[in-house]
Amino acid sequence: MITKTEGIVLKTLKYGEADLIVTYLTPDRGLIRAFAKSSRKTKSRFGSSLEPLTHARIALWGKEQTSLSKITQADILNSFHPIRENYNDFVYVSKLAETLISFTPEAIPNIRLFAFFLNILNIIKDTDLQGSTSLHIISQIRLLKHLGFAPRLSSCGRCGGMSHDFYPDAGTTLCPSCVKDPRHQSKPFVKISNQAIHFYSHCIEWPIDKSNRLKPNQGTLAELSGILDRHVSFMLSKKLMTSKFIENRGTASKRQ
Amino acid sequence: MSSGVVDDLITELTRLPGIGRKSAQRLAFFLMGMPDAEALSIAQAIIRLKDKARFCRNCFNITEDEVCSICDDTRRDTAQICVVEEPSNLIVIENTKVYKGLYHVLLGALSPIDGITPERLKINELIERVKKGGVEEVIIATNPNTKGETTAQYILQLLKPLGVKVSRIAYGLPIGGDIEFADEVTLSKSLQGRNQM
Repeated sequence: MITKTEGIVLKTLKYGEADLIVTYLTPDRGLIRAFAKSSRKTKSRFGSSLEPLTHARIALWGKEQTSLSKITQADILNSFHPIRENYNDFVYVSKLAETLISFTPEAIPNIRLFAFFLNILNIIKDTDLQGSTSLHIISQIRLLKHLGFAPRLSSCGRCGGMSHDFYPDAGTTLCPSCVKDPRHQSKPFVKISNQAIHFYSHCIEWPIDKSNRLKPNQGTLAELSGILDRHVSFMLSKKLMTSKFIENRGTASKRQ
Repeated sequence: MSSGVVDDLITELTRLPGIGRKSAQRLAFFLMGMPDAEALSIAQAIIRLKDKARFCRNCFNITEDEVCSICDDTRRDTAQICVVEEPSNLIVIENTKVYKGLYHVLLGALSPIDGITPERLKINELIERVKKGGVEEVIIATNPNTKGETTAQYILQLLKPLGVKVSRIAYGLPIGGDIEFADEVTLSKSLQGRNQM
């Protein structure tokens, strides 16, 4: 049976001699993986339509419940190649894609998530702040919120009181009186600055296309990035590959 | 029911890329039907490969010696280094007989989502080669896909301060193909990189 839908390529995996397994985010089938025969050959009819971040109209062959359909056609709707051509943008958008793959169950339709991710790609592509760390962090926060995994930093997750201590194992800040709970005593926590809390609250509340007006300093961005990484690592019980990549890239460039 | 030795061979063959259980079974029974000398010759070739093949200490091409035949060839142009992802890419470029410089094999391409970091590739070794001097041009011939492009951009960032000329192999349409089947990205790249006739 042939199914027609549209999808955004999140990841590709080499398979066999010249084939690819492509992970798509689709509006009506959710996160799916599909097989593209001979797609790595120079004269492949798929061309660049299977490159990461490409938004394409696709035709899939196979039973709807099958774990791996075959891609028979892919027509590009938006290649998003300006993102791929900007090294920093591509690295950070890869982080968003990995976050999305890690937190989203397969084959559960989610039109809002699809529309949201497409919107993020359009904003990053069209912004004049290409390579902006601020936009990358804002996108990550908004994505986590959309997925339902955003940490609570604005106030204590138990009593709503003011707190600057973030507990990754609780996914929230906890005030000193709530920490008396034996479950949280002696658990590691991270101190958060006022600037980071304010910036985070704005990112959560403001529409993403307006968030570019926020001008946080580099220290605040680095602080929030570290907190988000710890939170995501705790939720997934593993560190994201892209987070490791960004860390290693930092050490590599310092060494040069 | 198959005997243990055949099962063992089938299990081992399924480790190869693109070989599933059925293909492995077919290969195993084909090997069983082969003359002894031919089957043993295949086994010996694999043993010799694992025993003698190593990476060239300069360019990381596959060689039997300390330095590969290309690095050892005094007729090659040492001012040019062509950077490729895999040794198989080097063979294809050599087959063109157009390029006369040296090579540098990265042994992979950067991929943030797969955790392939610069440390896992031979990028630092390339920078050290350029720093030693004598190199005028580095031609980046990584694959024309996202991973290859990310790798090319990363290398460019590191080579820029060293003042060496960095070029990228051209993007474009494959010879023998029809323009109507080309996708918009390939076509726009080939228009950008057009040559005067």
